[in-house]
Amino acid sequence: MSATAFPEGATTGVGTGTLAVRGLSASYGPVTALDGVDIAAGPGHITAVLGANGAGKTTLLRTISGLVRPTAGRVLLGERDVTRAPAEEIARAGVAHVPEGRGVITELTVEENLRLGALLGSSRKRTRQRLDDVYAMFPPLAERRGRDAHTLSGGERQMLVIGRALLTGPDVLLLDEPSLGLAPRIVAQIFGLLRELVDDTTAGAGLAVLLVEQNARSALSIADVGVVLNLGRVVATDTAAALAADDGLRHAYLGF
Amino acid sequence: MQQFLNVTLTGLAQGAVYAAVALALVLIWRSTRVVNFAQGAMAMFTTYIALVLVEAGWSYWLGLLAALVSGLVLGAAVERLVVRPVEGGPELNAVIVTLGLFVGFQALAAILFGSSFVSFPAPFDLRGFQVGTVNIAFTPNSIFVISAVIVVMLALVALFRFTDLGLQMRASAFSQEVSRLLGVRVGRLLTLGWALAAMVGSLAGVLIAGGSLVSPNYMDAVVVYGFVAAVLGGLESPGGAVVGGLSIGLLLSYVSGYLGSELVAMASLVILVAVLLVRPQGLFAKAAARRV
Repeated sequence: MSATAFPEGATTGVGTGTLAVRGLSASYGPVTALDGVDIAAGPGHITAVLGANGAGKTTLLRTISGLVRPTAGRVLLGERDVTRAPAEEIARAGVAHVPEGRGVITELTVEENLRLGALLGSSRKRTRQRLDDVYAMFPPLAERRGRDAHTLSGGERQMLVIGRALLTGPDVLLLDEPSLGLAPRIVAQIFGLLRELVDDTTAGAGLAVLLVEQNARSALSIADVGVVLNLGRVVATDTAAALAADDGLRHAYLGF
Repeated sequence: MQQFLNVTLTGLAQGAVYAAVALALVLIWRSTRVVNFAQGAMAMFTTYIALVLVEAGWSYWLGLLAALVSGLVLGAAVERLVVRPVEGGPELNAVIVTLGLFVGFQALAAILFGSSFVSFPAPFDLRGFQVGTVNIAFTPNSIFVISAVIVVMLALVALFRFTDLGLQMRASAFSQEVSRLLGVRVGRLLTLGWALAAMVGSLAGVLIAGGSLVSPNYMDAVVVYGFVAAVLGGLESPGGAVVGGLSIGLLLSYVSGYLGSELVAMASLVILVAVLLVRPQGLFAKAAARRV
């Protein structure tokens, strides 16, 4: 065995589950939406991306997942460079992006939405078992499995898209404003569950989560690290606790 | 009474073919938002391929198979080489491209196969069944036509309803972006969708040609009726396309049988305008129509 080869699954510092974004820029026509953004999201960590409307949060996620082509910079998954790869291949490489507005396919049933996610995951035989795991995690979905997804409430839709994203077997989960339009109680429930998922290391190194939120207070309460964007640039990166304690920053960018 | 029966049965057989054409149009519309005006011309072309082979000594069934396979290939090629490059541009571009294909295929067929009418064989008897002393207009060939369309419909329903591939095709028809984020290779499915649609169109082309005459423009009227059927069914729903096709077949057959065959084309136009005025989303309510 050569000295540079690592056994599969060994911790190498840059594990397969680590998302690293380096100097990422993107624009819509003449408007620059992202300007040299550096962000990392590691296994077992929630990284909150905060900032006002138009700060570039959604564009950041869409550029990472391949829906928007970057004008500069790189997106690395572990040691694999996925910059400019098509969105479906980035998803196959282990990035699950739950888009703004959630992305429930309302014309399909609840179970069909979940099966669609499960198609990407591990072996066929275990699909039933994996669907049942998601139903156990989100009991309201189990009751509505045969219904068209457009009949679901906002909270149930959020459960559906998170469950569907998990079924794809991701290393990295990108969440765009999961709290939007949900009652505070439901937000707390979903954020609590997210924390549990990230801390659960039974299946491996744990999930890496990049959480885009307008609701900065709630996001920082469950995140490990926070990154503040303003006009497409990173203006602060620190532990969640330090960001929440920085009064100047909170007033200037986070609105609480 | 006898005339009513005859007109109805003829209408059903015609309607089955319109349903197949409508189905082909719907398959493409719901995945790529393109009305494929070349659908009929592509079917005409593959029907000629079948005819050439049958005239060369192949059996009818091998000819039909060749038409279906060449439909698959032609549909995939058209999507990849002609439609894909204009995707994402203004919607009108795709429309113009399919109109160009329509003209191109007709011209190519005239060059390769000649522009005169030639007869196409039928696999079954074209004489109507004898019921007692009454000869009805329903023939063994009509039964074949209707059965063939039903088999294809059921196969498509099974594909969409019960397979992972069908689930992915439906998902990408409803939301390409979400499907891609779940790792669905939408581009390949679009090609497959066009291929399947062109195959169904080819089936319609061969079925309507059976025992009749073909020329480079023999599918023109059929496609118009198929389009009216698709609009009647809501353009989104394969089920709606089938019901729409059978309805148009029956209605036009009654018009032809009771009012005069010269009014058929006008009647189809009247139906189209009436549907668009009264219920532009088609006869099937959105939620119901989307179910396959």
